[in-house]
Amino acid sequence: MVQPVLEWQAGRVTAIRPETRQTKSFSFALPKWMAHRPGQHYDVRLTAPDGYQTQRSYSIASPPERLGEIELTVERIPDGEVSPYLHDVLMPGDQLELRGPIGGYFVWEVSLGGPLLLVGGGSGVVPLMAMLRHRAAQHSTLPARILYSSRSAEDVIYRDELDGMAAADPTFEPFYTFTRQPPAGWTGYRRRIDATMLAEVMRPFDRRARVYVCGPTLLVEAVANALVQMELPIEQIRTERFGPTGA
Amino acid sequence: MDNDQADMNTALMVDGNAVAGQLEQIFGRDMTMAIARCAGCARDAQMGALMAFIRGPGIVLRCPACQNAIARIVETPSATYLEARGAAYLRMAPQA
Repeated sequence: MVQPVLEWQAGRVTAIRPETRQTKSFSFALPKWMAHRPGQHYDVRLTAPDGYQTQRSYSIASPPERLGEIELTVERIPDGEVSPYLHDVLMPGDQLELRGPIGGYFVWEVSLGGPLLLVGGGSGVVPLMAMLRHRAAQHSTLPARILYSSRSAEDVIYRDELDGMAAADPTFEPFYTFTRQPPAGWTGYRRRIDATMLAEVMRPFDRRARVYVCGPTLLVEAVANALVQMELPIEQIRTERFGPTGA
Repeated sequence: MDNDQADMNTALMVDGNAVAGQLEQIFGRDMTMAIARCAGCARDAQMGALMAFIRGPGIVLRCPACQNAIARIVETPSATYLEARGAAYLRMAPQA
């Protein structure tokens, strides 16, 4: 199959939902929607009145089973060029230039199999959520776990949905770690992700796990190095580095 | 380069996935799974896994093993420039 030429199209904002203090989810209806692979992203382009253009790529949060629309979850970067516009100016009904879906490296779909270990830091959870929503939409029972690092309880994106998925599905389990301010009474992890934590979360999967790691560069480096030291085959590891700010 | 600047560059680094759109615009296909052989150290890397520096006026892709600059991309209002002297070759599987 020859893939269609990647071109810009005008998406219309159908909904904006706050997720945390720093993140919002934006739904767009696309005139040339096509099914994406979970983990892919869209590029967003802004054009100033003087013709200056800038673009950023944002991961798709919604599953391909949601037809005609995509949802992007975007972290607001205070000195960013694109995310403050999305957060502070964009309204439902507005149009925005988008192109995608893009990327073939950091993708997972049910047909690739499991068990699935997702490791995310901050807004790096977004493409992992597309994978989990796809898995749920397919009623897959491939064992899946997510290890999700956040600064504080207020910074956890999709907490209710992740816990809801786990309650409805004994083959899925989320693990949280808090690097600055754990919730009151928290008895779980309260440090940066390290080799010990990874080994504990990965234990039932042994070395069969397919692992997807997404987050700030330093987190991804640390996790990828730890996985290689644990002798996980390198072809089972996929990484996506967000930079400090969600790229 | 002093240490502060090196740390800053590391912190601002992303990977080839972040420029998949620009690459696809140039090549007309997804390139994140394509293999780039580094002309410096001869190691192979998937382009999605190259180190990417995107905060400058252009994009620089570097080898994750030796940090050689594999490719540079600059978009101007009238043209796109791709300089890839740092790649011995790119290898693309046929598209499914």
